[in-house]
Amino acid sequence: MSLAMETSPSQGNGDEKPSETVKIPDRLLKRDQARLEEAERRKDIKEGRSVTEEKSDFFSTTFNTERATIDELLSICTEANRENATKILEEATVKTQQLQKFLNDSMMFLTPYELRQAQATLQVLLSTISEKRDDILPKKKFAFKSRNVKSKPAESPSTSITELPKSASNRDTDADAAVTPVQCVFSNVDSQVLIKRADEIQQQDVLLTHLTNCKVRLLGSPSTLHIKHVRDCEIMSGPVSSSVFVDQCTGSTLAFPCQQLRTHNTKDTQIYLHVTSRAIIEDCQGVSFAPLTWTYSNMDADFAVSGLDKNRNNWDQVDDFNWLAFDTPSPNWTVIPVSDRKTSWDDLVPASSE
Amino acid sequence: MGLLTILKKMKHKEREMRLLMLGLDNAGKTTILKKFNGEDVSTISPTLGFNIKTLEHRGFKLNIWDVGGQKSLRSYWRNYFESTDGLVWVVDSADRLRLEDCRQELSALLTEERLAGATLLVFANKQDLPGSLSKEAIQEAMALDDIKTHHWCIIGCSAVTGENLLMGVDWLLDDIAARIFTTE
Ligand SMILES: Nc1nc2c(ncn2[C@@H]2O[C@H](COP(=O)(O)OP(=O)(O)OP(=O)(O)O)[C@@H](O)[C@H]2O)c(=O)[nH]1
Ligand SMILES: [Mg+2]
Repeated sequence: MSLAMETSPSQGNGDEKPSETVKIPDRLLKRDQARLEEAERRKDIKEGRSVTEEKSDFFSTTFNTERATIDELLSICTEANRENATKILEEATVKTQQLQKFLNDSMMFLTPYELRQAQATLQVLLSTISEKRDDILPKKKFAFKSRNVKSKPAESPSTSITELPKSASNRDTDADAAVTPVQCVFSNVDSQVLIKRADEIQQQDVLLTHLTNCKVRLLGSPSTLHIKHVRDCEIMSGPVSSSVFVDQCTGSTLAFPCQQLRTHNTKDTQIYLHVTSRAIIEDCQGVSFAPLTWTYSNMDADFAVSGLDKNRNNWDQVDDFNWLAFDTPSPNWTVIPVSDRKTSWDDLVPASSE
Repeated sequence: MGLLTILKKMKHKEREMRLLMLGLDNAGKTTILKKFNGEDVSTISPTLGFNIKTLEHRGFKLNIWDVGGQKSLRSYWRNYFESTDGLVWVVDSADRLRLEDCRQELSALLTEERLAGATLLVFANKQDLPGSLSKEAIQEAMALDDIKTHHWCIIGCSAVTGENLLMGVDWLLDDIAARIFTTE
């Protein structure tokens, strides 16, 4: 075993660095101090739980009081009250930001449930502020998210180079240069039918990238599947043992069984899914889901190869990482209505593309 | 001296360590944590917040924090830095398209003052995948040789097979222990 170990003795030590050199606002120092004290108390008491509860109590009391104040500010912030409204809105915004900060600083004491609830509350406050702002100051649109999904045109280096991109220089990380022949890659194809059989993809990590207007069939069980920079495609795959990672996909239809689905920067895409743990979306719009209906002759055998549970499908439990309000559904994804679901799929014969 | 020193001393009596596990989404952090703990890894979902596990290993009490790596969660990472003894950076060795992203996130972490005293273990995960890059390639892509501020080590591993997980954690514990338990 060769451990690449750095032996230089230099050891940063957080303790010995008071912050004289850097100017840190008092407010932050105080908060940091408070946090350290809290951390100490936590350690001090053998049974850490009681302190956590206490802290968590303190958190919810403070959080709710602040939230009520902001709610109140927002309620008096009406068009009738226009001259003051701007100032009040400003105050509400600042207070909401402080509340966000307070939440961030308290995170380590909170249960995931409390955290999500608090984040949901903040989401609501932020959108209310946004709406108010639109009402009162119609000209200056206040935008929280300006994530327009732009798909970049495909640059075309399709060559397989075994070298890694050496650090920095290129900020765009999509450097396809890092693709080596060991990985199964299908890239830079326009308007074709691509059919891959088990002998090519079985338990391989497969990458589909820079495809436009293609029909892809992966008739086997990939170990993992990456789909990136894809437009107007129909991509189907046999059972994927671990995760499917989708990024920058537009106007496409996807179908596969997998353990996890992670969807990013994707727009107007339908996904026919069998997922044994969870599907998530991040920075997506117009993604819709339905249970998997596509099959092929050897699918059962490939299910066995993949190790996926055929009887467990959480296709409609989608977590949107940009939408933590779990009591209101995310606007970024929908369930495809039963009547609109595709039930028959083109039976592509491998020879047909030749 | 500072509260942190006191904190550390107290912690050391209990032979307790705090490990923070970070990395891009899909790297395999949660899978590593569960595998290490002997749990089922087939039901793991992408992490929405964080997981904490307290384990006993070689007489140490390990508090392992596994924080979600999705882009929208990365700004929260800093909330977990405090009192970290060991940073475990997990890389998906088969995700070639995001290596640069991965390098940048790591190098940003290493400039964090609150992580200054932490030992760094890099897991080049998913070595079981046929298309994965070797640990040497990951070492280069992450520019590990440029790190002068932290003790570090890279281990190629697979969370699915469990290969080398123990070796990585043992190295980390040894390095931390040598640093903080023996000086008193
Ligand atoms: N083949 C293979 N797959 C792995 C390995 N480790 C993790 N995976 C798979 O990779 C996917 C992501 O794993 P997770 O553990 O959820 O990743 P994570 O780093 O916790 O992701 P976030 O919670 O989003 O930050 C899952 O489908 C795992 O089964 C590995 O060593 N080999
Ligand atoms: Mg996770």
